[in-house]
Amino acid sequence: MSLSGGLPGMRRAAAVVTCIAFLLAANWGAAGEEQPWTERLELSGFLETLQSMRLREPHDAVTSRARLRLDLGADLGPVYGFVSADAEKNWKLSSETGVEAREAWLEHDGDGWDVRAGRQIVIWGKADGVQITDIVSPPDYTESVTRDLDEIRMPVDAVKFRLLGKWVDTELIWIPVFKAAVLPTGDNPWAVARVVPENVRVSSAAPREPATTLENSEIALKLSAYLPGWDAAASIFHTWDDHPAMHRDVLDDEDGMHVALEPRHHRLTVFGLECSRPWSDFVFRGEAAYFRGRYFEPASLFENPARKNALKWLAGADWTPGNDWMVTAQLVGEHMFAHEGRLLQQANSYLATLHVSKKLLRQTLTLSNMLYYDLDHGDFFDRIKAEYAVTDALTLSVGADVFGGDRAGSYGGYRDNTQVWVKVKYSF
Amino acid sequence: MCLAALLVLTAGIPASARELGGREIMVLVDERPDGEDRRSVLTMTLINKRGSQRVRQVESFSKDYGRDRKSVMVFREPADVRGTAYLSWEYDELDREDDKWLYMPALKKVRRISGSSRNEYFMGTDFTYDDMGRRNVDKDVHELLGEEQAMGHDCWKVEAVPVDPRDLYTRRVLWVSKSAHMVVQAEYYDKDGLVKIYRALDLRPHEGFWTLFHSEMDNVSREHKTVMTMESVRYDTGLDDDLFQVSTIQRGRIR
Repeated sequence: MSLSGGLPGMRRAAAVVTCIAFLLAANWGAAGEEQPWTERLELSGFLETLQSMRLREPHDAVTSRARLRLDLGADLGPVYGFVSADAEKNWKLSSETGVEAREAWLEHDGDGWDVRAGRQIVIWGKADGVQITDIVSPPDYTESVTRDLDEIRMPVDAVKFRLLGKWVDTELIWIPVFKAAVLPTGDNPWAVARVVPENVRVSSAAPREPATTLENSEIALKLSAYLPGWDAAASIFHTWDDHPAMHRDVLDDEDGMHVALEPRHHRLTVFGLECSRPWSDFVFRGEAAYFRGRYFEPASLFENPARKNALKWLAGADWTPGNDWMVTAQLVGEHMFAHEGRLLQQANSYLATLHVSKKLLRQTLTLSNMLYYDLDHGDFFDRIKAEYAVTDALTLSVGADVFGGDRAGSYGGYRDNTQVWVKVKYSF
Repeated sequence: MCLAALLVLTAGIPASARELGGREIMVLVDERPDGEDRRSVLTMTLINKRGSQRVRQVESFSKDYGRDRKSVMVFREPADVRGTAYLSWEYDELDREDDKWLYMPALKKVRRISGSSRNEYFMGTDFTYDDMGRRNVDKDVHELLGEEQAMGHDCWKVEAVPVDPRDLYTRRVLWVSKSAHMVVQAEYYDKDGLVKIYRALDLRPHEGFWTLFHSEMDNVSREHKTVMTMESVRYDTGLDDDLFQVSTIQRGRIR
């Protein structure tokens, strides 16, 4: 195993896009003469702006951004190419301003198999708004949980091969380039400040990420069955933890205590199970992931993280009683095996979610409420939203992100960020 | 194709030559020839009482497996739901729930959805999922009310009363073309009276099968109307079985 910085992200993105553009151009001639090129290209996307206001003093903007997304699909006969790019202006987080190639991949579908290669988002799992086995694409928590989940996942440079049977699909994913999760830092309003005792200095080295070598690749295998009345899947993912473990050296000298943090990513193997079953107006869903060899943070600043095994699970139900109502309830639990009292996380922790939505005015107005409630700390995040399609292309949304409860909890810590917001989105 | 054309030309003869009951007529509707598979592009224009319009467009594929049917609908318009795909395996067996999945491009994932939502309105139109698909004949009790002209066709007039009292409508009155074996006009009633009227505006043979090109659902109770046009209609093109698999809609595109 070698640990060092990989290729810089921008260079990797440029390399992937250039490679795919070359392949697109190379395939252009093979796409067949009978179909005009205008029919083989499909351009779509959206332009949106989101502005928010903090409900507490100083009533400033917590989120303020505008984004243009362009998606381009090209049917090149035997190969299909797709490129998606974002251009963003962020008035609150300057690091988010810029142009980014989100996805860029080529796909070929054969008889009973397909393969997709390039930068892509891979999504697993049956959960709604919660990630259990869905850890192939690492998360971007720059704006904590207030982004929609589909905007939180980041693409990975990967090759995905699928063998497609009548009842069972086999999926094999190879990810040669590691990508870490992104957490809010610095003066980002979503950054969580560490409480440090007086006379203690804390320094942190740059995270040590696995180098881009064959032996450091991530590999995933998944079997999925879609049967009459049942969906089920089993998976194994040999990966790196997207979140670094904060190893530390504690030095006690004449200047006082000094804690030197060394963030390091570790190998992790995750075994997953998923299932869903419809019955009458309900769909019951279950999901579980067994993490072998995951590092957990200690409660004390002066101790090192501990390597443990853990089981994360979810049980949920969707209820569609009719008349455009939809209710989804989920219970999420996590159990740490061989738990130690010195660790920050308890042996068992639980989270409940409740999503209620109702469509009105011929499905042009959607009222919804998504609640995350931490059963251990009693803190919560509640997103209340009204979404109205002004025209077929223009959507106006207003909402509130309410954080409450114990400040020690992962949601209660953001109580000061409770915000109301308005979003205008033009889709084309 | 020749056999299909023959069926179209002769469809009315044996049925009109003898007395039929309401159920027998609806069995004729259910069993009318429409190929082994079919594809089309449906455009639905929603018109409110002020005349303003919204447009929904889907590309539709379906294939028969005995008396069961598998279908895929891919949403083209409006832009914010473009690429959404709806896969259903519909079973003829009365008590068996259909299997349904929905692919949402924003979430890039397929989700299993409940099989009993046939009474929901489709994309905000005046058509329910039930109106758009095949309804098992034995979900209603049918009675022949008489014979009338409707939408330019000689028709049987049939009343259909749902067996399930929780159904969206208390009864429907259907005008079934004697030649096409298709419903050319229908009235939907609930406990408060007439809700909506369906009319087949352009119905003609195409590729050997009676094909509906233009229809409307006039929701008189809400002063709202949905006009549906069907284009690029093709039968028996040999649609691949793979098209009706979850793995295909998971790609986010159908081609």
